[in-house]
Amino acid sequence: MSHAYTPSQTHAEVTRDVVATLGAPSRGYVMMLAGAVGLFLVGLFTFVMLLKEGLGLSGYSPPIMWSVYITTFVFWVGIGHAGTLISAILFLFRSQWRTAVYRATEAMTVFAVMTAGLFPIIHIGRQWIFYWLLPYPNQRYLWPNFKSPLLWDVFAISTYLTVSTTFLVVGLVPDIAAVRDQVSGWRKKLYAACSLGWTGSDNQWRHYTRGYLYLAALATPLVLSVHSVVSWDFAMSIIPGWHGTIFAPYFVAGAIYSGIGMVFTLLIPLRKLLRVEHMIVDYHFDNLAKLTLFTGSILFYAYAMEYFVAWYSGNTFEQVTFWRRAFGPMWWAGWSMIICNAFVSQLLWFRKIRVNLTALFVISIFINIGMWFERYVIIVSSLSNDYEPWAWGQLNPTWADWGILAGSFGWFGMYFLLFARTFPIIAIQEIKETIPFPRKRGGH
Amino acid sequence: MAAMTPGVLASFVHIDAATDAIRALKAQGHTDLTVYAPAPNHEIEEALDHPVSPVRLFTLVGGLTGCAAGFAMTFWMSDNWPLLVGGKPIATVPPYVVLGFELMILMGALSTVLGMIVMSVVNARKRVPFSERFTDDQIGVFVPCRADQAAALEGLMQRAGSVEVTHAA
Amino acid sequence: MDETQESGMDRRRFLTVLGVTGAGTAALSGCSTDRVQKLIPYMVQSEDQVPGIPTYYASTCTECASGCGLHVKTREARAIKLEGNPAHPVNAGKLCARGQAGLQSLYNPNRVRGPRKRLADGGFADTPWADGVAEVAARVSAAGGKVAVISGAGRGTFSDLLAAWTAAAGGTVVRYQPFDHEPMRAANQQVFGVNGLPSHDFASARMVVSFGADFLETWLTPIENQRGFAASHGYHDGTMSRLVALAPRMSLTGMNADEWFDIVPGAEAAIALSMAQVILAERSSAPPDAVALRGMLAAYAPDQIAQQSGLTADQIRLLAREFVSTEPSLAVAGGIGSQHAGAAQVCAAVNILNYVAGNVGKTVRFGADLEAGDGYAALAALQRRMDAGEIAVLVVHDANPVYALPKSAGFAAAMAKVPYKVSTALVLDETAALCDLILPQSHALERWDDLRPRAGIRSLMQPVMEPVYDTLPAGEVLLRVAKAAGGALAGLPSGTWDDYLKAQWQAFGRSRGAGDLASWWVGVLAEGGVYDAPPAPSAVRLAASAQQVSGQSPAFTGEGEFLFAPSASPMLYDGRGADKPWLLENPDPVTKITWQSWIEVHPETAAELDIREGEILRLVSASGSLEAPAYLYPGVRRDVVSAPLGYGHTNFGQYATGRGANALDLLAAPGDAAFLPYVSTRVTIEKTRRYQKVAKTEGSNRQLGRGIAEAMPLAAAARGLTPEEAHHEAAGGPAHEINTPRELEAIAGFAAAQKVAATKGNYVGDHPQWGMTIDLAKCTGCSACVTACYAENNIPTVGESEVLRGREMSWMRIERYYEGGHDGEPLETRFVPMLCQHCANAPCEPVCPVYAAYHTPDGLNGQVYNRCVGTRYCSNNCPFKVRYFNWFAYNKKAFPEPLHLQLNPDVTVRARGVMEKCTFCVQRIRGAQNEAALAHRPLRDGDVVTACAQACPSSAIIFGDRMDPESRVARSAADPRGYHVFEETNVRPSITYLAKVLHGAEA
Repeated sequence: MSHAYTPSQTHAEVTRDVVATLGAPSRGYVMMLAGAVGLFLVGLFTFVMLLKEGLGLSGYSPPIMWSVYITTFVFWVGIGHAGTLISAILFLFRSQWRTAVYRATEAMTVFAVMTAGLFPIIHIGRQWIFYWLLPYPNQRYLWPNFKSPLLWDVFAISTYLTVSTTFLVVGLVPDIAAVRDQVSGWRKKLYAACSLGWTGSDNQWRHYTRGYLYLAALATPLVLSVHSVVSWDFAMSIIPGWHGTIFAPYFVAGAIYSGIGMVFTLLIPLRKLLRVEHMIVDYHFDNLAKLTLFTGSILFYAYAMEYFVAWYSGNTFEQVTFWRRAFGPMWWAGWSMIICNAFVSQLLWFRKIRVNLTALFVISIFINIGMWFERYVIIVSSLSNDYEPWAWGQLNPTWADWGILAGSFGWFGMYFLLFARTFPIIAIQEIKETIPFPRKRGGH
Repeated sequence: MAAMTPGVLASFVHIDAATDAIRALKAQGHTDLTVYAPAPNHEIEEALDHPVSPVRLFTLVGGLTGCAAGFAMTFWMSDNWPLLVGGKPIATVPPYVVLGFELMILMGALSTVLGMIVMSVVNARKRVPFSERFTDDQIGVFVPCRADQAAALEGLMQRAGSVEVTHAA
Repeated sequence: MDETQESGMDRRRFLTVLGVTGAGTAALSGCSTDRVQKLIPYMVQSEDQVPGIPTYYASTCTECASGCGLHVKTREARAIKLEGNPAHPVNAGKLCARGQAGLQSLYNPNRVRGPRKRLADGGFADTPWADGVAEVAARVSAAGGKVAVISGAGRGTFSDLLAAWTAAAGGTVVRYQPFDHEPMRAANQQVFGVNGLPSHDFASARMVVSFGADFLETWLTPIENQRGFAASHGYHDGTMSRLVALAPRMSLTGMNADEWFDIVPGAEAAIALSMAQVILAERSSAPPDAVALRGMLAAYAPDQIAQQSGLTADQIRLLAREFVSTEPSLAVAGGIGSQHAGAAQVCAAVNILNYVAGNVGKTVRFGADLEAGDGYAALAALQRRMDAGEIAVLVVHDANPVYALPKSAGFAAAMAKVPYKVSTALVLDETAALCDLILPQSHALERWDDLRPRAGIRSLMQPVMEPVYDTLPAGEVLLRVAKAAGGALAGLPSGTWDDYLKAQWQAFGRSRGAGDLASWWVGVLAEGGVYDAPPAPSAVRLAASAQQVSGQSPAFTGEGEFLFAPSASPMLYDGRGADKPWLLENPDPVTKITWQSWIEVHPETAAELDIREGEILRLVSASGSLEAPAYLYPGVRRDVVSAPLGYGHTNFGQYATGRGANALDLLAAPGDAAFLPYVSTRVTIEKTRRYQKVAKTEGSNRQLGRGIAEAMPLAAAARGLTPEEAHHEAAGGPAHEINTPRELEAIAGFAAAQKVAATKGNYVGDHPQWGMTIDLAKCTGCSACVTACYAENNIPTVGESEVLRGREMSWMRIERYYEGGHDGEPLETRFVPMLCQHCANAPCEPVCPVYAAYHTPDGLNGQVYNRCVGTRYCSNNCPFKVRYFNWFAYNKKAFPEPLHLQLNPDVTVRARGVMEKCTFCVQRIRGAQNEAALAHRPLRDGDVVTACAQACPSSAIIFGDRMDPESRVARSAADPRGYHVFEETNVRPSITYLAKVLHGAEA
């Protein structure tokens, strides 16, 4: 690689710096963790109320039978995708710049999917029998309906969670071993247990590198399939504004776009918090930003296509739906989605902005908001005015909607922060891989 | 470190030193070396020149099983409880492709991990001495040998450029 | 956590009730402990109580003065549904929403649970029946003739007894109904010298002109009117009758009119006389005595009255010529919605119009002598005597004058002057609250009684179950009081009320020469009464006073720039419906508003005053003011505002009290008028700038050309065109759209899938395919089917707050779409009953992850409640949006004791978190199939009748097996007018709609 990333560091420094991130937590960290736990408790309370009283507590107003919960579900699934893209796909492409950031993004993936996985349970009417969606043997031989996109969803999400977790853990093992050999006392015992007896022998590396390669090879089609399946939850229906053939690529692009947005939102403060500014540098953000620009432009195209096809189809249902999406009662949501995603992403054509962390952070917030609204618009505005005009209605979300939304951020943040303090958030061995060993004959 | 395999353990800082040592040892007929490194390294792999890991077989078998399982489950269950929905056939391929695919990935991935663990454990040499520097910044080369060979091998290591050589009896 | 087990009324609860000899009351009424002692299990099965098999009793509806016949469906000694009695000549098996909701007055949680006595502190306390009776007896005998009774009970054995009782007590009876049609009777007196109400034959009328008579809502006998109207106005054999409505507000009747003219309020009489003038001037064969009217009518030539009437002279002439040339025609007047000070003159003018057009004796039949009370005048007279302190004891029975009269009339004050007041109210209403003693009468379904709603009809009521509470029939109370009081009252029969009533009937039986009285009685009970053929119309001639009929439009009091025209709500009627959740949640057929009262303002007026829907307006008149949210209604004149009657109760149980505003508050005291002029005052509109969401079920009232409510011109229908062909002809395009190859492929794929399916599991073999046709040319939007569906399927009422979120559960809803109304073109209304279409290609089914929604072998779109986990995808994917979700445990809130006793044990009470929807009354289908199986016969067409089809007074709904080519449903579905909603989605509904037919230019 011509523009290879070569930090002026030795293997030893890398180990020290990363192990240092696992030291005693700073005040800022503790406060953030407390905040996350607080938000999580809000969500927990809301969920208990939903169980006690019923889904009616949230603002559902027929015909809008899905609203904030499914929106947030898709939002979190999407967040996950950037992680797998960076850790698996870029791994296959051998792009070195991923090494410094992939561990963090991969952790983000796992926790985002963990968060998303809660929503199908939260949003159903009888949460206590969610397991009826699983094909478990029962004495009356009742099986689920595999024709339902919702069931595809169950399988896609659970597979995704399993595989991305495995991928994360496998990647961690050598690093945990490295930490093990730096610390002492009970922490040494803990990491020793987690390191599964890793020594870094030639035999271990031989199978490890192979296995890791195949895991990446499997994760790559998976990440593309998962959000396609999620998009089919909508595309398989007959609702104008939902049953679009471009939904799969459209959603995958959106997912990666939103995911990288979240990576910015997390990494930019985190690298300060963990004092690793010298390991995650402009070079990384520049590349991430380019990826954002790319996927953002795909979204731009997809949005344009949706409106074009609606107009070109000559189908009155489609036309009315999209007319109302832009100029109907929910115009504000429709436009904030287009501005935050299609337009804001275009700022990244300028390198000045791509390497200006403040700018990137602000943009990333826009991306998060915009992508949440994208799903909100697709779901709510399409449902609010479909075939039967007499049944048309508008949505007024309530505290129960926002409570669960806040809780999901708390739940995610809680896990992410704990992880960042407990395990190497920067991949020790992969960075070392990029640093050549010293040579006795010349060279370094 | 009780009942360690007797042999010589050398630590290297320089990669070319380590590979020199490995090549020299192999030239002398020492094949069952154990080489520690903080990160995977191509030069070491070339020096050792092991055959390709069989983990990929686990992946293949797991993936195919998963795919088959996915289709088998969906078709059997549809037929076992036949219900007409939306005027569609009771059992039909297109929607079930998704299930087949997801299960293929799932079982493929899990069996790969299984493969990594199994292979590492099966081929692992027991009671090989180890130094904590090997997960940090040093490369370790251990060659098992009889006491009478130790001196010669230690010399070989030092000549190759080892920074530290210990003899585990 | 699953509420199914805990739901208000499940099988187990029914069985406990069943285990009690009739006295199921013990299970629910704490106040009748003596009954609990008599609990004994069935030793011998009582012959008319087979567990699981419904028993039907014939009875009579008392929710308005029509006197419709009932079939009361009981299960395990509980009345669970009211349906029409097919043998009854008035309603012929049909029943309106109000009538069906009578069940909720029987099981109303607000009923007075036993005799209650006023305490010194103003509250009430329970008192034994004996004491109550003794007290009344003492008061009556002490009153020395200063006794008065206000009774809302219809003509019948009870009213005879009441008359005898009051006469013996030396007092007076006033039989009072708020909607009593006094103007019509006055007009009949004036024009024909007949003080009675004729019957009107809508079925044979080829043209009907309504001068503000809301005959589909509250006018005379609405169900009978609607049956007739649907029969003649419903399209058949290339023809249909024609309805023209003249009224300042488009009521439900106006919405069903082929033409509606928003005439100047008060101009009705002038227009009617003008039409008569035209007819007399142009027609030679007018009745000879009518010719004498020429002189009087000359003043009403179209050109004279045109500009103050709101019609052009040509319109009047055209109308008149059409009216007389289409025989027989019918003009009707005297509706509450147009009851202004001149109403009597309007009716008189319409009488003359009918007379000169030769309708009297044909479509207007005197001698029918429809039920009528003594009218407002009599009540006012009594009120004056009360004021003068001439009444010592006042008995109020089945009437609520304190609510029904404007506050300005001061009836409450007059009551305060009466030392002792007794009420027999079921629910503690405004009048009862002012009484000293409440002796609650038994509900009509709990007692023996009868009615004579018109000449030749004697309609019986019989107790179908033990009284829910500790109540007695009012007749029984009268007799007990008489016995206790002695004196002149001792002359009354000494037996019980039941003996008395049966004695009367036996006498009647003998008078009809019944040989074996016992078997005759059984026959009468089964029939529900004795129905003689309607008497031949008695010939009437113009009275001399007909000459005095005047087209003068009445003066309206007050200053404001808007005339206030309250509308009689077809749901709440005179206000008695306001305590029944079914009626409050069944949307008003015109505005589609539930649980709230409202103020109708024309959109243009609203624009001028910058009023948006939901702004709370204050209407101020000389006599008072009311506040309600604005509803922009294009069917009301720009200079008129309207509000519904029946809301704003101050004391009428938990559902009615404080709900909405009382339109009567605006009215001035009628003084000594002969009737209460509802349309009498002008008002000013004050904006409050406060807003409230209107609890309406209407999303968009325009169908955006989506072909949901199709209509076609009469000419096109007569030529056997399909709605599509009619459209294309109008647009001048090709007659047929060509299916694309993909569409054809999809259609073929469907057939293939069916073949595959038919080889598996339950799908093997032949099955009926249930289907329905709904004739939009007959549907009037009356919404009787909606309440029928609520009653049959245990649908919970969710209340105002949930309706505001669009969460009403009405499996059957009536959509009301507007056409036109812009830039000059007339406003047209179309009603579409919308329910689950049971699509063969149902989009809701494949998306359900647990097969809760699936297709049954007999073509139903099944919904398995206890399998449903509540993902709600099915509802998202339903183009018709006819699936309803239990957001809360509605089943726990909607049926407070004893309302839960109304629940149908054959239908699951749905738990929280599950989706529910129309099942085509699958319980009725299975019931009929079982019956047929037991009788070893195949299922016949017509064996299965869904609740909506059963109730529909227009007979617009037909249900049956589409596979049987001979079935009525298959034949009606073959009608060229037939179409499927959203056909382009290829969902293949099982419901075929027959397009509405419009009188086009040909008229």
